[in-house]
Amino acid sequence: MKSSLVCVFLLLCLVTPVVSAEMLDGAQELAQSGFVDESYDDLYDDLYADDEAAEIYDPLEGLNRGTFWFNDKCYFYLVKPLARGFRVVPTPVRKGLAKMFDNLNSPIRAINCLLQGQFCQFGKETTRLVVNSTLGVVGFFDAADHFWQIKKKDEDFGQTLGYYGVGEGFYVVIPLLGASNIRDGLALVPDSYADPIPWLVDSKIALALTAGKVVNRVSLDKDTYESIVAEQLDPYLFTRDAYVQNRRAKVID
Amino acid sequence: MKKIWLLSVLLLTGLFTSLSTAEIVAATVVADGPKVQIEQTVNAILAVLRCDVGDEVEQRQRISTMIRKKFDFKVMSQGALGRNWKVISADEREKFITLFSSLLEETYLGRIRAYTDQEVSYGEESIRKGRAVVETFIHNGGVEIPITYKLILQGQDWMVYDVVIEKVSLIRNYRSSYKNILRSKGMTHLLEQMSVKIEELRQREASEEAAA
Repeated sequence: MKSSLVCVFLLLCLVTPVVSAEMLDGAQELAQSGFVDESYDDLYDDLYADDEAAEIYDPLEGLNRGTFWFNDKCYFYLVKPLARGFRVVPTPVRKGLAKMFDNLNSPIRAINCLLQGQFCQFGKETTRLVVNSTLGVVGFFDAADHFWQIKKKDEDFGQTLGYYGVGEGFYVVIPLLGASNIRDGLALVPDSYADPIPWLVDSKIALALTAGKVVNRVSLDKDTYESIVAEQLDPYLFTRDAYVQNRRAKVID
Repeated sequence: MKKIWLLSVLLLTGLFTSLSTAEIVAATVVADGPKVQIEQTVNAILAVLRCDVGDEVEQRQRISTMIRKKFDFKVMSQGALGRNWKVISADEREKFITLFSSLLEETYLGRIRAYTDQEVSYGEESIRKGRAVVETFIHNGGVEIPITYKLILQGQDWMVYDVVIEKVSLIRNYRSSYKNILRSKGMTHLLEQMSVKIEELRQREASEEAAA
């Protein structure tokens, strides 16, 4: 089962880069012409929108705030100290590690591009995986972007479901993982099958790698969460709205 | 009679020509486009942050002046309150604008300060009916953080009325948060909380300066 999947995947990898190179130019033109209308909301809408469409359904707010509090403590007392310690590793190495982990996410992005019919981006993701895994030294360098400006695009199964009209359900805060909703939370399960790490190593190492990925990412982060907590009147509301806005925008594009 | 007629014609043509030359002058002295204006402001702020002058208070003051020149805090305040803007009194509006300006300034400055060492590049600009969108990117170790500025034309100046970071509009975000706070606690409470927050942030900054 595993090997046949890999075979199909590799075959697709070989075919698509050729196709995508031709489609690349056309798609870029389209993206540029579409820019005006997509990002241009009416000022009136911007300022006085009823926001009924932007309303966030959060029936479990009490519970979610509890989980938010728990995650907050985990961040400040566990993840952040580890990340601070990890900063002894030189920044270029940590950046390389972040790219390596990100390269391992290419299959998730590629498959979800395919599922949404974004064949051009599917080609780009697979090209990126092949180029960065080889030329980019197992993903340590983003050679595809550096030499050919082939950029990634975040796609996941939650967005795929959204693309096909599946609603968000309601807002949930998942322990340790943070802001999510029913749809995107459940979509993590199928996505996990496209994650190569569990296929390559046993589950304990996979878990350790995931933890390492998070610590490495936080070590590179510029205290985003700290500043939200410091600057916002209600960090829970800020985080909730930021998550929802970001996800809704990602589903549309 | 004929003389008066001639004189008035002369006067009128003179008036017209002077008007049209004024128009031509105005047309030729067109201000820079939104992208150029944003580039100037962001680069100027980054330059001040990067050059290590001894006086932190003065540095802070200079940046504050630059932000206030480029951000339309009144439009932003309206955006942050949405429909509630129409409900509150003129006095509350004034108070809100003052407090919200300070809060936003702190937030924006905090974000841009975090990325002082990173390279910023400028992408597309698009203009339509006196409003514009300018894309910028902060390059943070292989990761691009897209920051989009939404601008409105006020006279010759393109003024920022929203900052969109990673597809998240700051103003929409504030509106959503404040709406919830207003719904449960009301305007007086919101204004109180805002001034408490500003005081907190100023103290944090002061202690950071003392530590540095």
